[in-house]
Amino acid sequence: MKWFRGRSLVDVVGIGLVLAVAVFSLVLLVAPSIIVVVISFDTRAYVTFPPAGFTLRWYKAVFEHGELVEAMLNSLQVGLTVTVLCIVLGVPTALACVRGRFRGTTALSVFVLVPHMVPGIVLGVAVLFAGALVGVSPSIWLQSISITVFIVAVMVRTVQSRLMRLDPALEEAAANLRATPFQSLRTVTFPLLMPAILAGAVFTFVEGFDNLSVAIFTHGFRDRPLPVELLALVQYTSSPIVAAVSGVQIVLAIAALVVVSTSIGLDKVNE
Amino acid sequence: MAEAAIHRRITPPGFGEQVADALLSGRGIWPAVPAIVVLTVVAVIPFAILLSLGFSDFEISRGAIVSQTFSLAHLTNALTDPLYWITFQRSMNLALSTTALCLLLGYPVAYLFLTGGRWTKRLILVLTIAPLLTSGIVRTYAWLVILGGRGVLNSALLQTGLIDQALRIMNTHWAVLIGMVQIHLPVMILPLIAVMSRHDSRLVEASENLGASRIGTLRTVILPLSVPGIGTGSALVFTLTYTTFVVPQILGGGNYLNAATMIYEQVVFSLEWSKGSVSSLILMVTCLIVLVAIALLTNHFTKWTKGHDA
Repeated sequence: MKWFRGRSLVDVVGIGLVLAVAVFSLVLLVAPSIIVVVISFDTRAYVTFPPAGFTLRWYKAVFEHGELVEAMLNSLQVGLTVTVLCIVLGVPTALACVRGRFRGTTALSVFVLVPHMVPGIVLGVAVLFAGALVGVSPSIWLQSISITVFIVAVMVRTVQSRLMRLDPALEEAAANLRATPFQSLRTVTFPLLMPAILAGAVFTFVEGFDNLSVAIFTHGFRDRPLPVELLALVQYTSSPIVAAVSGVQIVLAIAALVVVSTSIGLDKVNE
Repeated sequence: MAEAAIHRRITPPGFGEQVADALLSGRGIWPAVPAIVVLTVVAVIPFAILLSLGFSDFEISRGAIVSQTFSLAHLTNALTDPLYWITFQRSMNLALSTTALCLLLGYPVAYLFLTGGRWTKRLILVLTIAPLLTSGIVRTYAWLVILGGRGVLNSALLQTGLIDQALRIMNTHWAVLIGMVQIHLPVMILPLIAVMSRHDSRLVEASENLGASRIGTLRTVILPLSVPGIGTGSALVFTLTYTTFVVPQILGGGNYLNAATMIYEQVVFSLEWSKGSVSSLILMVTCLIVLVAIALLTNHFTKWTKGHDA
């Protein structure tokens, strides 16, 4: 009862209320995922609660569902392409933003952010129309490059904030030891940036894999990505197969979380 | 041979490395050029084209514009069409109420993060970051399972005898709102936590040493300091909820039309390019207006730390 001692009633009730809402929100965040995972093991062929028994058949069904597997592979390809493009385009841009000695470094950082600030569907529509006018029809490649443009800002920001906290003495030491700028970049700066690049890679990959707003307008007619396929599946069927897909995704999310927390630490994600 | 090897070793960096130095020394704009080119081709030019399509009459044949004349007709058509007003109003209401509810539910979590111990902090981070790594569709599906006719909520309520007939929540405004709030909650919490954990913890201690109650400290110290976080979180949640179509599509059933689902239908199903362009532009402009309003309000209520916090 130490907690109550010397506190006014208003204080106890007020803070109690705030903490109660906090606990409610945390339960709200996690409960739906737990319910879905439970459902994914249910034996019945329609979504209901509580489950009647335990089975793995929905997980098996996911990998036997040809279109779903293909969609997963497509999204995997998009995710990887987006990640590679974001590293190739984003890391040098972050270098230029932080190390640049030219006018307009701020303008450059803002410019990179612009496509990210525009609603995804507006970017998707714009790319679709522009592509149609120059004869580029929607495809897995158009989808990848569009999502890259949409999300590259995240990579730039992550690397930028790490770069700004690096000790400049390290590179000066390399220069004093006669390293060329390229050598010091390769052997000093780059290894120090690795955690930030890795964290950026996780987030850009997830966006490439999961993005719907840009993808729904730019994806190829034949190679549908997972979100588009899932949206159709959710709308037109009620079998727990989607729950099994959720189960798979939750496992992947936990893996990604472990990667992020060991590379830059969870508390750094926000910066 | 040996001479050549020695020669190579003592010569300054080769041509390739010299080029790399020039490009990557980081003093010039060169490293950013590829990104600038790609962003210009894939974002800036398409936006310009979208703008021009919204403000002109055009004729398309074989995938190319053959004639184009300036016209405000599409815009005035849209602005006089009641369907547009209803749809955009619905989106705006939904986005604003979602943002407000996310703030109401998210702020206490950020407060708990600030005052909690190491494991509390860790738990909060895991619970807020993990959902962002799974697909929004999958998280919306969870609400289909919970709110459906034979779903978790109805079964629980029926079994406990609180109701004797299944509630109809799916395909209503409430289902959409509940789903929206839960799905975007992490997006509100993370910026709040980021800004709050940047504060000097001695400020809270000082306030308590001076005799303020905890609720008083929350109101007079923590809340004013966290205004920038409230601004960032609200801006992010608003943009996402104003322009999403996953939740309305799945939880609202086929007839819940919001701005995003309307644009999708215009562009993909009925192939009405000018309508699609105009709707996209209206969406972008109205979104921007609210974002500017949020920025102004944030700036107005930010105390003490003006110019420090982003």
